[in-house]
Amino acid sequence: MSAQWKIGQLKLSLALVVRMAFSSLKIRLSRTTLTVLTIATSTAFLIYVLTLEKSGDKAETENWYLMMGLCLLVAAAGVLNTMLMSVTQRYREIGTMKCLGALDSFVLYSVLFESALVGLAGSVLGVVAGLLVAIALGFAEFGGQVFARMSFDAITWKLLGTFLVGMLLTTLGAAVPAWIAARMPPMEAMRGEK
Amino acid sequence: METAAPRQHLLGDFSGNQDLTVMTRNVFKEYRMGEETIHALKDVSVTIATGEYVSIMGPSGSGKTTLFNVVGGLLKPTSGAVFIDEVDVAQLDANELAWLRCRKIGYIFQSYNIIKVMSALENVTLPMLFAGVPPDEALDRGVDILRRVGLGDRMLHTPKELSGGQQQRVAIARAFANRPAIILADEPTANLDLKTGEEIIHLMKEMNREQGVTVICSTHDHKMLDISDRIIWMEDGAVKRIARRDEVEIQIDVLQEH
Repeated sequence: MSAQWKIGQLKLSLALVVRMAFSSLKIRLSRTTLTVLTIATSTAFLIYVLTLEKSGDKAETENWYLMMGLCLLVAAAGVLNTMLMSVTQRYREIGTMKCLGALDSFVLYSVLFESALVGLAGSVLGVVAGLLVAIALGFAEFGGQVFARMSFDAITWKLLGTFLVGMLLTTLGAAVPAWIAARMPPMEAMRGEK
Repeated sequence: METAAPRQHLLGDFSGNQDLTVMTRNVFKEYRMGEETIHALKDVSVTIATGEYVSIMGPSGSGKTTLFNVVGGLLKPTSGAVFIDEVDVAQLDANELAWLRCRKIGYIFQSYNIIKVMSALENVTLPMLFAGVPPDEALDRGVDILRRVGLGDRMLHTPKELSGGQQQRVAIARAFANRPAIILADEPTANLDLKTGEEIIHLMKEMNREQGVTVICSTHDHKMLDISDRIIWMEDGAVKRIARRDEVEIQIDVLQEH
């Protein structure tokens, strides 16, 4: 009696990771939209405060920073919560996939990529919205002068920074759920309950 | 390979010159639940030949599912060894275990476990994609297998649009997708009505014959006995009895005389 085969190794398919992340987002579209909006709101707020920073007095600016920090924290908690729900609701699904040959890294990257997409959409939306609001308010205050008073160099950096903060928040929020999902034993699929 | 195996477990064993697919040697599995230690498997040694259809019977909590998980590489035994062909499952790392689950073992579950958000065809192609089969080829093969299990006209349906019996057919197609060596079916008919359950049993038997795949199936369903090559009874974590089908029929006759 001899084995006609040798144990092999599985390769991680990034194409499949991308597909899985997109389909997961599509299926939970309403929740995805909500998370995107959470990220968008906080990044918009961040942009708004950053462009405002020089106009107010010092004490007020500090107040704004405190609020902004809290706002970002809430956004990160929102992502954590959403991804945790997304993962725990899929326990059996993930377990089944592992029985079918999904690698831990496949599950990890799928969840991380899923939230990275949410972060990307939210950050872009937030940066654009925040900038528009800041310009609109500036226009109300200074009229046509607003563009002359804006330093595009500084704004570019602020936009980029805000965008990165948005992405970072979502990745941080998703890290723990992704790790939990990846470590989930495939046996979970055998559980009787629905 | 040494042939000395524990005595009573060899009762009704396979003829001896067939290839082995699964062999467990003195497998123990213990769980700790607070202060208590639960002995889920006690000295289980079974040998199953290539192409055999083996049913495992026993009450809930008798260790059937634990044995499945151990054989399927989902659970490490506390002691003892599990061989799939000649490969010692305990020696495999995480990636190799995933490979084994993907390529050599097909799972069929009591509650189907069709991935809800995917169509029947996507469910069947998924294990092939995990195995690295090119997407086009996976699709072709997926279509073929779904036709084979009688779902040719329902390939793009999601589980919501399929009955329990149809979902279990998808699960069977999915389990066979990578042409595994072993099918592990955990009470595949428990959630189905009698007639549908019977259809599923026959489908599994046909696939077993056609593809020469070893099928290990845990069940409460006495209809399973008719199509099994051998039956393993488990009780309280231990193998109570192993018998070939013809031996069982004699037993049933004796019982009916009372």
